[in-house]
Amino acid sequence: MAKYIALRLGQSIFVLFGLSLLIFFIARVVPGDPARVALGNLATEEQVQKLRAEMHLDRPFAVQYYYWLKSMLRGDLGKSLYTQRPVTTDLRQYIPATLELILFATLISLVFGQVTGVLAGYFRNSWFDNLSRLASYLGVATPSFVVAILLLFIFSQLLKLAPSVGRLPLMVKAPPTVTGFMIIDSLLAGRPDLTLLALKHLVLPAFSLAVIHIAQEGRITRSSLIENVQKDYIIAHEVHGIRPTKLVFKYLLKPSIIPTVTVMGLDFAFLMSNAFLVELVFFWPGFARYAVNAMLSKDLNAIVAVVLVIGVTFALVNLVVDTIITFLDPAIRIQRRGG
Amino acid sequence: MGMTSLLEIRGLHVGFKIFDGLLKVLAGVELAIGEGERVGLVGETGCGKTTTVKSVLRVLPIPPARLDGGEILYRAQDILKMKPREVRHLRRTELTAIFQDPLQALNPVFTVGTQLRDIVLDSLAAAGQRLTRKEITARCVQALAETGMPDPERIMSNYPIQLSGGMRQRVCIAEALIKSAKLLLADEPTTNLDVTIQDQILRKLDELVEEKGMSVLMITHSLGVVMDLTERVYIMYAGTIVEEGRTEELFARPLHPYTQGLMKSVPKLTGEGISKGIAGRIPNYLEPPSGCRFHPRCEHAMPICEEERPPLFSTGVNRRVACFLYQRS
Repeated sequence: MAKYIALRLGQSIFVLFGLSLLIFFIARVVPGDPARVALGNLATEEQVQKLRAEMHLDRPFAVQYYYWLKSMLRGDLGKSLYTQRPVTTDLRQYIPATLELILFATLISLVFGQVTGVLAGYFRNSWFDNLSRLASYLGVATPSFVVAILLLFIFSQLLKLAPSVGRLPLMVKAPPTVTGFMIIDSLLAGRPDLTLLALKHLVLPAFSLAVIHIAQEGRITRSSLIENVQKDYIIAHEVHGIRPTKLVFKYLLKPSIIPTVTVMGLDFAFLMSNAFLVELVFFWPGFARYAVNAMLSKDLNAIVAVVLVIGVTFALVNLVVDTIITFLDPAIRIQRRGG
Repeated sequence: MGMTSLLEIRGLHVGFKIFDGLLKVLAGVELAIGEGERVGLVGETGCGKTTTVKSVLRVLPIPPARLDGGEILYRAQDILKMKPREVRHLRRTELTAIFQDPLQALNPVFTVGTQLRDIVLDSLAAAGQRLTRKEITARCVQALAETGMPDPERIMSNYPIQLSGGMRQRVCIAEALIKSAKLLLADEPTTNLDVTIQDQILRKLDELVEEKGMSVLMITHSLGVVMDLTERVYIMYAGTIVEEGRTEELFARPLHPYTQGLMKSVPKLTGEGISKGIAGRIPNYLEPPSGCRFHPRCEHAMPICEEERPPLFSTGVNRRVACFLYQRS
């Protein structure tokens, strides 16, 4: 198992290496002369040449790539043209906000999606299954920002149950940033009242993002469950008197959840950039918004960072998903071990 | 039969609703198993053997399956009318089964030990007993050892894919016998195994069943298996029982034209080559033949065969046959 994970880690590094080449290509080759871009139109040719030498732009691509990779690994991603701050500072601020949001959204979709999926699969063609089918069509067909606006309108405007926007109320001073996760930071600061407030702010945007995934993942679990429920081994468990809850949530769910886990991983990574509209609606100071702003303002260093973060997220999520699946499916584990 | 029946199936009709209509698979199955008796149920593939077993175990998927009449009495109680809780209790204490394909009958993502332990846990709970974890494990290891499994302690922590077909079937047998049930339904337990292993496993199963004094319904299409392991046998054709009798007697003197054809179709080592078998094939269940379901393939068919379903005519002690040839006028 450990060996398998090490192997996958090695593969991920290889993938990230490929990604870095791609990003380098985008950053250095496509948009023209970075030195000219950095200095602006008013700089003299001499100044530009000097900067080109400093940035190693007068050297071959391979050497350029080496220096570029080196500075990137040191965490130097350059300055953002838009925020006028080092890109890493921006990332440190925005990534945790989005991570907190999509982790929570993933948790919501896990709980709701799997429970409805299991119930719909076990009681297939019942009223519950039909209702959940209808709901999931609606869930998939409704864009998340529409859900966001609807939720805001209902829970914030009409029912006054939830706060409207942001990560904390405007008047409340945020706890000192340690992890960037509001929930954790407020706990670290010894302010559970803030944790509760942060959670309240988190619920609506996270749920808006989760809706489509609840619908999709629930459906996948349902169909995988229906396929497995006919299998001889489930009939055998039943005949041997295994109690229904154990039969469904242990013996039926474990083999059925494997395809869902893969999709869930991809969904998580997608949210990293696709949370944009929901972040916009809720004034969530997150990474997805930062990413779109970077692209709209042609902020090259920020764009490179954004692509890098999304790439790393995909690589990491894939690693986690593969590890979980290895844990769930002994066939993979045993074949890797070779016997 | 003489003795009291443990299980008695009376006039069981089961259909399957499909897009094209209703498949009338079981059409009045009559079958009884006495206490401690070993009974065979023989018929070709698709004749409704497995549907019969699944009906007894109450694991037919309804829908598409549909019960169209009949009763299945276990100690005089109708299984078909039981509440789910009562069925579960019966499965934990009285009924057990081994299935056709050991490759499919074990959950691929749990170890042998986990699957065995849970059976013991739930059947103990039903019997009102409690054992420690250690005692339960010991019992599982013992159950595996009884099936002739080599190195049972190690097998406990193995996953099914690490085991050969024969070993998997031994695990299935251990699962079936660990809860000390009274009636075993064995649905072609060795069909998907190598011939050499088949024999070993069947003998072991026979030995264990004898030791535990269990009743057995052995479902198979192999006449050899039935000859070796059963005292009484039912012959099934297209969802109906066509003949029953003591195994030896029935094999020595088959009465029903279908049974006679079945016996002739067994290849013999003493020359003559391979027989022709029975002309035609098992009927379409959407529109099964009227009257006797065998009549379109029967050499002796009479006008009445097309019009009326032959009941089981008694021709001796423990001997009945569903054919108008044996009707005493």
